[in-house]
Amino acid sequence: MEEPAAFERLVYKNASNFHYMKICLVLENGSRNIEAAQFKQLIVSGLRQLYGEVGAAFPFDLLKFDPGTLTGILRVYNSGLVKLWSALTLIGSYQNELCAVRVTQVSPFLLALSGNSRELELDQASPTGEKLLLT
Amino acid sequence: MSPELEKCSRSLLVCEKSNFTKEKSRYDIHVSKHYFNYKVSIVIPECASLPASIAGVINSFNSYYRVRDLPIYKLLEEEFLEKVVKKGQFYALSYNTRIDEDNTIAFLPSGQLILSVDKDTYEQLGLEGKPSQYKHRKVLRYVVTIDLTDKLMSPGAKRYQRLITSLKEWVPIKCDLMISSKMTAAEEDGGVLQNLLSQYSFEEHRPTLHTHTLKEMPCPSLHSTDRHGDEKSCDPHHFLEWLGAVSMDISSDNEASSFLSTYVCPDPQSLMSHGLLCTVTGFLIPEDIYSLLLELRRYFDEPKFTSWLSMTVHGFVDSPVSWGTTEHGFLKSGENFYNFVCFRNQDYWLHMATGSHDGCPP
Repeated sequence: MEEPAAFERLVYKNASNFHYMKICLVLENGSRNIEAAQFKQLIVSGLRQLYGEVGAAFPFDLLKFDPGTLTGILRVYNSGLVKLWSALTLIGSYQNELCAVRVTQVSPFLLALSGNSRELELDQASPTGEKLLLT
Repeated sequence: MSPELEKCSRSLLVCEKSNFTKEKSRYDIHVSKHYFNYKVSIVIPECASLPASIAGVINSFNSYYRVRDLPIYKLLEEEFLEKVVKKGQFYALSYNTRIDEDNTIAFLPSGQLILSVDKDTYEQLGLEGKPSQYKHRKVLRYVVTIDLTDKLMSPGAKRYQRLITSLKEWVPIKCDLMISSKMTAAEEDGGVLQNLLSQYSFEEHRPTLHTHTLKEMPCPSLHSTDRHGDEKSCDPHHFLEWLGAVSMDISSDNEASSFLSTYVCPDPQSLMSHGLLCTVTGFLIPEDIYSLLLELRRYFDEPKFTSWLSMTVHGFVDSPVSWGTTEHGFLKSGENFYNFVCFRNQDYWLHMATGSHDGCPP
């Protein structure tokens, strides 16, 4: 058996290199088939439009994309966060169709994106179904 | 672009390393002071299905209630106050209220009531509070903290009367609440909570359990003595990133040249033939989480293939407090979570993280 570890405490401030964003694409005429690569291309072209060829040349990752809900998770270096966020805000059309990008969550911890309490939906389980009546 | 724009708002990650068997380790306090928990997720490498003992603990988690349009002063009436709130282990948090927009209310098990309200409500309430720490030029949010166990707050006292008048007549705040009480589960409150709930529309909810088996994926190697990630382990940020990737089913077998993503599992790594990801969501109380942690520690009583397992607990992003009575805000995402990595020899690592509008974890 190894020796028990000695107590140690460390505080990291702003030590994460990345920020993570959960975003969702909303199309004017409802959803349609978009692949992950097309989605990333849309963001890249949005960046290029706003910041030009050189200004937009920074790496970011599309960690995950769900074609069903058009929701994606991005990873970007801290230094590129403001640029990426602003470009996302200004994306207004996809293949001549009006669209918008909604930013649901932004965090320096990817783990935080997996536990968003704003997603807690207690109404679905409601036995009275009041929510349905309201809508 | 201005270099100022390349900076990000502050975030904190506190890492502790110790051993469960040491008397001085404070892990139990960190768990019990994180009052409002939304989700627990467990990752156990080289484990195919949820062990019965752990499933048993999860099944015994307390139920919680969601009650609609409850006037807050009802929870401050004498009988309720004496038999439920002051007895401890009473947790309540307003549901579907956003800490950066709405009035948010919380009852802490220590017998404190916290009202995080906007400026208008604060001025109408006429109760003594403090401006929120996280203000921007103008103060638009105030936090009122009332210690209900204080003698001056006992029913009949002047300050108590003032509190009731302000919440009953001046600003009759009503909201949906999530309530959990250990006393009610043990029926030690004489049915007072049930009586109150029955006057309003309410539902009882059970925490929701999901299990998922992970297959053939890379997994970071961890060594309890090397928490900084110098040689034998990966560093805490990379480990937490990997946990996030596992929780959200993000693939980590990318190549450096991939167009979509360059995310890879951190080094040193090994191949995990299978693993277990188990999540529980709801309005979870610290007592339940503590009993789960105790059970997870017992997992290593019998020989196992893995040398570590992990438990992550996410707090409510819209709670007015994170740990203890430390004020909590939202800004970009309101994250407040902690993570235990338990090792075979009862060593543990504890990671506690908060975002910009939050104090330093304890």
